[in-house]
Amino acid sequence: MNRAERDKIQSKTRQRVRLGAGAGYWGAELGAAIKLANEGAIEYLCFDQLAELTMSLLERQRLKNPEHGYIPDIVSQIEQLLPVMRETGVKIITNGGGTNCAAAMDKTLAVAARQGYGDLVVGAVSGDNVTAKLDELMREGWKFTNLDTGEDDLSEIRDSIVSAHAYIGADGIVEALRQDADVVIAGRVSDNALYVGPLMHEFGWNFEPAYVDRIGAAIALGHIVECAELVCGGMSNLWRVSREPWKIGFPIAEVSPDGSAIVTKLPGTGGILNEWTVKEHLVYEVHDPSRYVMPDGIADLTALRIEDLGGNRVHISGGRGLPRPDTLKVQIGYRDGFAAEVIYLIGRPNVLEKAARAEEIYRELLARSGIVPLDLRFDRIGVDAISGGMFDDPPESDVRECGFRIALRTRTLEEATIARAHFLRVTLYGPVGVGWGAPPAVRPVISLWPTLIPRDAVDISVDVRKASA
Amino acid sequence: MTKYFVPLHRIAMTRSGDKGDIANIGVVAFSADLYVLLKERLTPARVKQYFKNMVRGDIVIHPMDNIHALQIVMSRALDGGATRTLRFDQTGKSMSVLIQSLEIPFGDNEMALVPPRPPFELAE
Repeated sequence: MNRAERDKIQSKTRQRVRLGAGAGYWGAELGAAIKLANEGAIEYLCFDQLAELTMSLLERQRLKNPEHGYIPDIVSQIEQLLPVMRETGVKIITNGGGTNCAAAMDKTLAVAARQGYGDLVVGAVSGDNVTAKLDELMREGWKFTNLDTGEDDLSEIRDSIVSAHAYIGADGIVEALRQDADVVIAGRVSDNALYVGPLMHEFGWNFEPAYVDRIGAAIALGHIVECAELVCGGMSNLWRVSREPWKIGFPIAEVSPDGSAIVTKLPGTGGILNEWTVKEHLVYEVHDPSRYVMPDGIADLTALRIEDLGGNRVHISGGRGLPRPDTLKVQIGYRDGFAAEVIYLIGRPNVLEKAARAEEIYRELLARSGIVPLDLRFDRIGVDAISGGMFDDPPESDVRECGFRIALRTRTLEEATIARAHFLRVTLYGPVGVGWGAPPAVRPVISLWPTLIPRDAVDISVDVRKASA
Repeated sequence: MTKYFVPLHRIAMTRSGDKGDIANIGVVAFSADLYVLLKERLTPARVKQYFKNMVRGDIVIHPMDNIHALQIVMSRALDGGATRTLRFDQTGKSMSVLIQSLEIPFGDNEMALVPPRPPFELAE
């Protein structure tokens, strides 16, 4: 689809803004995003590529190499999207800048210039990294209370902290778009800010009271589409009726100035999008649905009206919100030991009895080495690996085979290394078990300390540059 | 009144996920009548009893009247959260599946509310 054809479709839906979901996780198929950019008549393609742990992983990479720290895929993704961006004018918004948006921007500009897109404008949003501010705020008396556990003494883990990133809102994205960015590379913005930002920019909304309901609606809408295929019959209760899921379509939100919208997907794509898929995703990873607290506002998801229009089109209206909070959520990642695990397969007869014996052998091996793990877990895959302890064991004669899994976490790398070496001995000293290759390498564990920071302690800045400049 | 026990998957759909060490399960009833019944019978105590070996913290259930859904929020539910837990299911995605076997008591006169198949399968 060229720009003229797109404009024709858009003129029919005048004043509406069409946003496409390009990815809901790091590793999503780019084909679905390219199809949306080509055929979706969308103005924005939004990529959510960060999970809760990702920032700490990326920060560790950046500390090793100052050129790293962003999701490396985004540069080649943008490179592949350059032709369709040129043709349709679609803009890209991503949080794949991770902990190094500046480096991601430099790489993107270099690639664009090399490909003959010297006029590409890229904006980098920073300010989410608050690691350097923790000590000062603590000295001033701010309590970084752990939202999960209630612990309020951050100094206990201070020396183990890898990174601290605030979930920032749409402010920086809006500013980059105002400065005509074609690509906005952000770090730890909230997932839905990737959608709230372009809507605020296009409709001229701001954080004044007049717009709180519309921003609330935009947050809800962002929440519905930000995981891409998860609202189109992916990972779904509708798996039986989802058509051709191997070519699942990603969602488009066609948003009106009042914040209401139609969510749809492209004809010819797989999956399914109806009132049920919208409802099943509306409840995803939400706590109090009447107060869905985000950096740009507090959305009331219980106010939404969901109307199935048929033909993979769902109308969403009634969005409401409250002003944005004075605090931002911060995810602090800290080093918290080392983990190792292994899986062996055990065959019949006497599968459960053999698994019990293997567990006994492993516990004794650990004890003989003087290792007291912080956490230790045994699973019998096929019996209780996901239901651990909820149901009684089946009769032995009903169990044909099982995976026997050992997982543990230790304080030191040395302990984990010894514990991993003992895995093999469970079968060599005991009943026959079938392994596959060597157990995975010992991995460092990063735990999360979710907390809050005053909004005014976070300084968001935007750097916008042109490829040829 | 004769009592029946209907597994949750016959009357609702579910989706679960994580934030830190908190897991949540959204339960969307297949009809308005079933929602009323679920609101009354799918209680925090019931869910806590069901997940007693997994969930160490409190359970709160929020209603969503607009979509006939209940939001079950469970603290200290993932052995420290996705990045630290030793569970095979690090992000609690399977909790949505596990809860589908939870049995809800039904009276004789209420069994007609249970659809033969989920509504999204009937529509096909």
